[in-house]
Amino acid sequence: MKIICLAKFIPDVDHFVYDYERNVLVRENMDLVLNPDDACALAYALALKKNRQDVEVEVLSMAPLSLLPNLKELLRLGADRGVLISDAFFSGSDTYATSCIIARYLADAQYDVILSGTHALDGDTEHVPVQVAELLGLDHMAYIVRFDDDSFLNGTCVFESEFDNANARFRVRLPCVLGVLAESRYKLPFVRYENLDLNVDDRVTVVTNEELGFSHEEVGIAGSLTKVASTWQPQMKKKEQVIVGNDDEGIETVFQFLKKEGYMP
Amino acid sequence: MKKALVYIENGYEAAAIDLLEVVRQVGQNCAFETCALCLGGNGTAPEGYFDRVIRVVQPSPEWHDVLSITNAIEELHERDDFDCIVILATPMGRLLAPRLAMRLRVGLVADVTDIRLQDGEALMVRPAFDGKILAGIVSTGSKPLMMSVRPGVFSYKGARDKATDKADFIPMRASPRQVELLEATKKKTFSDIRDCEVLISGGGGIIKGFDQIQPLADELRGMVSASRRAVDNQIAPRSIQVGQSGKMVSPKLYLALGIHGSMQHFEGLRDVKHIVCANTDRYAPICSQADIVVEGDALEFVNRLLARIRRGKESKG
Ligand SMILES: Cc1cc2nc3c(=O)[nH]c(=O)nc-3n(C[C@H](O)[C@H](O)[C@H](O)COP(=O)(O)OP(=O)(O)OC[C@H]3O[C@@H](n4cnc5c(N)ncnc54)[C@H](O)[C@@H]3O)c2cc1C
Repeated sequence: MKIICLAKFIPDVDHFVYDYERNVLVRENMDLVLNPDDACALAYALALKKNRQDVEVEVLSMAPLSLLPNLKELLRLGADRGVLISDAFFSGSDTYATSCIIARYLADAQYDVILSGTHALDGDTEHVPVQVAELLGLDHMAYIVRFDDDSFLNGTCVFESEFDNANARFRVRLPCVLGVLAESRYKLPFVRYENLDLNVDDRVTVVTNEELGFSHEEVGIAGSLTKVASTWQPQMKKKEQVIVGNDDEGIETVFQFLKKEGYMP
Repeated sequence: MKKALVYIENGYEAAAIDLLEVVRQVGQNCAFETCALCLGGNGTAPEGYFDRVIRVVQPSPEWHDVLSITNAIEELHERDDFDCIVILATPMGRLLAPRLAMRLRVGLVADVTDIRLQDGEALMVRPAFDGKILAGIVSTGSKPLMMSVRPGVFSYKGARDKATDKADFIPMRASPRQVELLEATKKKTFSDIRDCEVLISGGGGIIKGFDQIQPLADELRGMVSASRRAVDNQIAPRSIQVGQSGKMVSPKLYLALGIHGSMQHFEGLRDVKHIVCANTDRYAPICSQADIVVEGDALEFVNRLLARIRRGKESKG
């Protein structure tokens, strides 16, 4: 039973670098972390592998080559194989082009199920896993907070998803693409001490456009179907305001204001 | 005449009707014929708002069957050739929109917060990554223009006076269902920050004392809400997050405690009457929108204000 986990490394939310000239996010040389939802999906896969002999976990990420060390870290946590799709040729791809690239790799890959996160925290969309599923002709469900214990045993998986106003239990036939939520609280293990410096080079593959064979118009900025046409600073009218200190006088000002405006019950 | 399609998800009818405002803004130069697509069963077709309402029947896909809904919309699009498709970004809408966009091979802009016309072309606006700027995005491929919009971002003020043409639509291409719903349990309806007139909201500047906000909310008969920083730190549930990827709120009073006021956060504040903020940095963007800025530590402010309110009550009673 083979699980492929999609893993996106996202800018540490506090440290975005945006190239205003080219209108793209600068991903080179940036502090990146594994997207929280993706981390939970991988954590679940690794936990399953621990309990079941037959489970094999591959981590698949599309990112600049500089992220190879981050990917290797995930192998030291217990994943069997890592694949990094990386080519300068792909840089600037929007979610559409990215999905096409990842799906082309997956089209020839072996797997029983593809696990991913539900949302990517940086853009806050769910596009890539959904679109990969569409390109592969697979079904997809997301918002997963819990898998049943006997999932993946006989070609099916039962899980619980959390929506705005309801929780739902689904059964799905494999293969399919499933999106986990950080709320599932599946936690990645720590690297075991003896694995801290484990050499995992022979289990990592870098896939470039040489293998995937896209033309220039199909990927990157040229292959993207959305484009930032312009950016601007929002103009907000400054309100007339009172600035006070955090002292008796300031508190009294706030108190009297709340009273005057009828907020004091 | 150009045509726009709005997908009406069962249970979100009112919010989906508001998407007509998006269509109206996209079509400022030339109005669209509006078409609503809803699923058969117990969904109600919103008459009077749209030019046409189309109900998918025989079989009507279930709410969670994104593949079949995609198939149905694709087939309808082959027949009607829409110029614009708008989908409400509910949890299921967020799975439907990207699949449909890929099926139709068009770009998708998610969580659009505004429409701006530039040289006659509609720009789909959303805050850019760092939350300091807004980005106007265009679709570079073929039509239809596709976007998703969160509930409550736009509101439609148009009249309900259309002679809606109602029709059923029977998709020809069914696909075997892979995802089977076993059981659905409605969550207990908790009170919702969207319905509350007073919100006491905590952010990055009050992470350590977040649990001490509740008593102040109780005194002011309000609810506690949060910025995404607080949610990312797992001290506040996602259900109380205000902002672009959280909820749109319109309280009368918004008390912002240690919240910076990024664009993504501001996107969630709609028609707020009064803002009071406590921030160590009086130049934080939220302060420029506040009626009163308390310059200082947010937690200390909470405790002092709480003490003052309680003192006021004692002297009264
Ligand atoms: C795609 C996307 C979607 C997003 N959606 C949302 C969203 O829906 N909602 C949202 O809120 N954010 C959202 N964000 C995140 C947003 O960009 C900001 O990172 C976030 O709003 C910051 O939260 P904050 O202001 O509470 O924290 P910070 O940015 O950490 O700001 C803390 C503020 O508190 C002040 N402060 C520090 N210490 C104290 C103290 N002791 N007392 C008082 N004040 C203090 C600081 O001066 C600062 O102004 C999104 C981001 C992205 C990329």
